[in-house]
Amino acid sequence: MKFLCLECNEPMKLYETGPPERGSIEVKYECPNCLHQIAMLTNPFETQVVSSLGVTIGGEIVNADGNAAEQGVSKCPFAAKVAGDAPQESDGTKIPEPGNSPSDEKISWTEGARARLDRIPAFVRPMAITGIEQFARDKGHPQVDELLLDQAKDHFGM
Amino acid sequence: MGTPTRTYYDIVGDGGSDVLGQVERQRGRIDESLSGVRHQIAVASGKGGVGKSTLSRHLASAMARHGWETAILDADLNGPTQARLGSVGSAPPVPGPRGLVLPRSRDGVGVLSLGAYIPESSSVEFESVAKGESYTWRATREFTLMSEILAGVEWGTLDVLVFDLPPGAERTVQFAEFLGPEVAFVLVTLPSALASGVVARSVTALDTTRNRLLGHVLNMDGYACAGCGEVRPLFPSGETTPLDTERLGSIPFDPQLAQLSDRGGSLDEMPESAAAQAIDNLARKLMNILESA
Repeated sequence: MKFLCLECNEPMKLYETGPPERGSIEVKYECPNCLHQIAMLTNPFETQVVSSLGVTIGGEIVNADGNAAEQGVSKCPFAAKVAGDAPQESDGTKIPEPGNSPSDEKISWTEGARARLDRIPAFVRPMAITGIEQFARDKGHPQVDELLLDQAKDHFGM
Repeated sequence: MGTPTRTYYDIVGDGGSDVLGQVERQRGRIDESLSGVRHQIAVASGKGGVGKSTLSRHLASAMARHGWETAILDADLNGPTQARLGSVGSAPPVPGPRGLVLPRSRDGVGVLSLGAYIPESSSVEFESVAKGESYTWRATREFTLMSEILAGVEWGTLDVLVFDLPPGAERTVQFAEFLGPEVAFVLVTLPSALASGVVARSVTALDTTRNRLLGHVLNMDGYACAGCGEVRPLFPSGETTPLDTERLGSIPFDPQLAQLSDRGGSLDEMPESAAAQAIDNLARKLMNILESA
């Protein structure tokens, strides 16, 4: 979708994304010539279509709830369901994050291990976090690093 | 006269989000992820319940027995079965250097199936703000998820990647367009007028794509009697719609095969059965076709 300033016959540039609200997102555009601004306001169906494409608008990830995702937070369509099925989840909705899965014994992740985590499909990340941190606890490791991930691969026969 | 108003095509870019560029970059990540895969086959059918998934599983397994590095991608997101068929799913997902480490069945076939991550008692749901109107966006969301899977898994070096597709002539075409022309298709049908009529539509539909149709497999072609060893008709004889494509093989129905499939077994358990031998012949035939292409 493109926007044209009819007054100047100039394509408008993305200015900023406004705060999302109840499934609607606000994307502001500005004419680089006359500085006239407009706002594109989507209805929930339009928001959902954008979300379904898996793209970002204005540099922000659009979640299925119409909210801009925070850095590092899963945009996984199954996130809540998968998290609910994870054996250590009690509230059924909370999504585990690296080093923050529900347990008394916190496990940290090295930068390299986190980078690996970011490369796998988002919908399996919550399960990976829960399962790998449990593997680390079982092995007596306070931290998940790339070596431990390689060990997990061997341990689980992959 | 003033300057003509610019049209969509006069304007470069979309003002900042570069949505098309994002889609193209995702396609690039998929290409990179699949760069070590020599052949890709999609097992499809217009008709559901013809045995696509079971055939995909044992076909991949047979190819692996003949020395090929093989993997299956369960593309039926709403009815995933390959995790059960390959007996994978008890291990947690493990992040590897280039993506998700591919789980493997006991006979060494890589298996990626949503069934390994979502319990069979749960339906596959997507979060949405457009409640009750999923028909407007769900197919798009499913193909985006498929892109994420293709790009985010360590497929490594494979001789063949087998796609187990969901049923439907229109889905077959959608997957052909999504996966690209390098994916060859095998259609599965039954010896019944009902099934052949529906599958004939898939043959016609695939004609509209750039994908190669290798042929079709006649599944459940008779019943392999465990008592007398004979293969007897399973469906009433009658007129079926001729399929304008080569028949690659015929597989008899065998209750033992159905039973071992349900518990994630392999054809190694019944190598002398007519069904196992038919699938093995089919595997060798397809390997020859792919290698000679």
